[in-house]
Amino acid sequence: MTRISAGGAYVPRLRVTAETIADVWGTFRASGIDRTAVPDADEDALTMAHAAAARAIKAGNRDAGTIARLHLATTTPPLAEEDLTARLCSTLDLPDGVATATYTGSTQAGVQALVGAVQADTATVVVAADAPRGDPDSRLGHAAGAGAGAVLVTPDGGARIDATASHTAAYPGTRVRQRGAERTRELGVRTYERRAFRETVTGAIDRLDIDADSVDAAAIQAPDGDRPYRVANAVGIPDSAVEAGIAVRDTGDLGAASPLVGLVNALAGEHSRILVAGYGSGAGASVLHITRTDTVPVDQAVAGDVELSYAAAERRRGTFDGAPVSGGGAHVSVPSWQQTLPQRHRLAAGTCRSCEALMFPPSGACRSCGATRGYDPVTLPGTGTVAAVTTIRKGGAPPEFAAQQTRSGAYASAIVDLDADDGRTVTAPLQIVLVGEEDIAVGDRVTTTLRRIYEQEGVPRYGLKGVPMAVTR
Amino acid sequence: MGEAYIVGAGQTPFGSFPDRSYRDLFDEATRQAIDSVPEEVDSGRIDEVVVGTLGVGGRQIGLPGPAVSEHAGIGGVPCTRVENACASSGYAVRQAVQAVRGGQADLVLAGGVEVMTDVSDDVARWWLGVSGETEWERLTGTTFAGVYAQMASAYAEEYDVDPSVLSEIAVKNHDHGAKNPNAQLGFTCTVEDAESAPVIADPLTLYHCCPTTDGAAAALVASDDVAAEVRNDPVQVTGVGAGTDSVGLFQRETFTGIPAADRAATRAFDEAGIEPRDVDVAEVHDCFTIAELFAYEDLGFCGRGEAPTLIAGEETTLAGQLPVNPSGGLKAKGHPIGATGAGQAVEVFKQLTGDAGERQVPNADRALTHNVGGSGGAAVVHVFEEVSL
Repeated sequence: MTRISAGGAYVPRLRVTAETIADVWGTFRASGIDRTAVPDADEDALTMAHAAAARAIKAGNRDAGTIARLHLATTTPPLAEEDLTARLCSTLDLPDGVATATYTGSTQAGVQALVGAVQADTATVVVAADAPRGDPDSRLGHAAGAGAGAVLVTPDGGARIDATASHTAAYPGTRVRQRGAERTRELGVRTYERRAFRETVTGAIDRLDIDADSVDAAAIQAPDGDRPYRVANAVGIPDSAVEAGIAVRDTGDLGAASPLVGLVNALAGEHSRILVAGYGSGAGASVLHITRTDTVPVDQAVAGDVELSYAAAERRRGTFDGAPVSGGGAHVSVPSWQQTLPQRHRLAAGTCRSCEALMFPPSGACRSCGATRGYDPVTLPGTGTVAAVTTIRKGGAPPEFAAQQTRSGAYASAIVDLDADDGRTVTAPLQIVLVGEEDIAVGDRVTTTLRRIYEQEGVPRYGLKGVPMAVTR
Repeated sequence: MGEAYIVGAGQTPFGSFPDRSYRDLFDEATRQAIDSVPEEVDSGRIDEVVVGTLGVGGRQIGLPGPAVSEHAGIGGVPCTRVENACASSGYAVRQAVQAVRGGQADLVLAGGVEVMTDVSDDVARWWLGVSGETEWERLTGTTFAGVYAQMASAYAEEYDVDPSVLSEIAVKNHDHGAKNPNAQLGFTCTVEDAESAPVIADPLTLYHCCPTTDGAAAALVASDDVAAEVRNDPVQVTGVGAGTDSVGLFQRETFTGIPAADRAATRAFDEAGIEPRDVDVAEVHDCFTIAELFAYEDLGFCGRGEAPTLIAGEETTLAGQLPVNPSGGLKAKGHPIGATGAGQAVEVFKQLTGDAGERQVPNADRALTHNVGGSGGAAVVHVFEEVSL
């Protein structure tokens, strides 16, 4: 499989500007960045990976049942140990037989996942999602953004992967996160860091044996808006190509997702000769040369239409979390939760085998006819209309949602008439994500998105929440 | 089938009592109930005890019925704890009535108790959420107030409602509660107070929500023979109706009323052989002010969408055509979850036996109690009539 047939990208709507950060700390320490993306309190690498991968699959009009492989790349998995690809296969409705791999450990993981898909030679979803964090007054901390990029690597498709190459050289200490730590640290020796980046990336590009000045989009690892240009200049890739291949100016450092988000952007811009270059500390770089001969459909939800104050941004990241909450959470045991994953992850509904009424969740006696003959599965498209709603503000949240509310403010709890493909609807309760002063009323239309619901027994639980259609990008 | 009568009823003050135990409170309510019977009744005559309680704070989840009975000196007799969230002791009264009517017992103590204020806000909020549907509804991040607020949003969408009507209900119930020495929030308030209070779940403010409360209440339910022996003006239970519905709001057929309460009321009125307009005084379940609006419509006091008109016309104030919640309701009197249903029985007993002090509704002969569990997963309605024996 050496082609790319579709792409998807997701960057959170929330941004904090370089000026805001400079006001707080006296200066903004990263170059070439105007705004960085901030994940909402209930977003993380898994939810963003789902958002990007789902968009890629949909853009490619791909039947999820034909996908044979999933590669997930991130340096910030919500769990240090547990294979998150299993949950992603569930949320994306991939078949049981899918082979999965997780790439992690450095920001090179994204392109490593992509190169791995080329080598695997089978229909693969490759998704990289990241939300790096650094000390609040460090270069990395200032530059840190969040986002995800995904591509479908398949036998057919409008873009052909012509060649791949790598270069590895031991340069310890440039960018490190200790075990159990929340924040990544850079060594702060600029010349050493630049040398590691340059040697590995140019080393890999040189092995590709390409015409550097004919590259028209270069999706180069962008820990800031300066590094990619330096490397491009060193090998003769035009500045305009870098401009077309990086998103960092408006997103900040996307970690492992950086080259993939750039690639998706390059495909959207209909560039023909695309270079993808990923780099990770350690150090190592992998590069791919891609020729686009036909349109590659992409779906990008990347615009940042909400700007936050510094305090609001830090609250969302969890810096000012407030007092720990006692009182317990809603008691749904892990095994009980697992039984309901088709509903939580995919809105799996059912039609009564007796009277064909639509039910959600499809369990227990039919609410329409009382029969207990079970249900035939029906998947809902994930849109609906609000039938009843309330906005929950400070003091109104149950304990297990108190932290989320402290971090991201008011949200709504609604009963939504979910659409079915045949025109019928079925009611379901959904939390509605509200940002800033947004509100939601009976009659409004919503779509759904995967978010982190809560954590209990140390196990994070993910499910679908509603998003007002009016603000869906 | 025999008849059942309330021959005595009593309650503790409702409020916050950090130095009282749940057993202690139940004991006091039992004493008050026994003391309210004109002829002396030995607690040894009580055949059975039915206790409603949710167990907020995790206290005595197993065998709370025997635990409080023993403490009140009524150990040894058949005893059970009934739980239907906020309708627990309403259902306890119903169960006592069933036992007496069915000839299984001659004198049954039906009561309820709850202690809620000795836990942190977070713990209290957790317990308030257990009576909603946990796996789906609660995990949208809603509290109890949120579910009723959702109903309010649907009601406002369907009927043209002046939002201040919710505050008018709070004003009315506080007015009544200010006349009730047992009320937790025995002070009056204004519409402005209610509207400017912090929003808990849009459109419900703090003043549209009942408080968390400690308290106990109990009623003595007697057979024909025992009733005739101990007083000449017992309160007959002429109608009982109860029903259930989906625990989660999202699976109900309507969001603008409580079908379980509607069903319960229909059955109660049928059995009593009366119409809603025959009721002289009612204690309804106003856990949130919107719930009182629904009560008027579910009970048939008016048609769908017309409840705001009753409020605007002041028809349900003490001076009105049909006083509702003369005690102050859950809003001002307080809502110790397991005790509320029995507390409603205590109030109507006082009203019908002329013992309601400043809150007395003149010439009250027939009364109704309406007790709802959760957002409407369970409901029980009793109709009472003062009789001479």
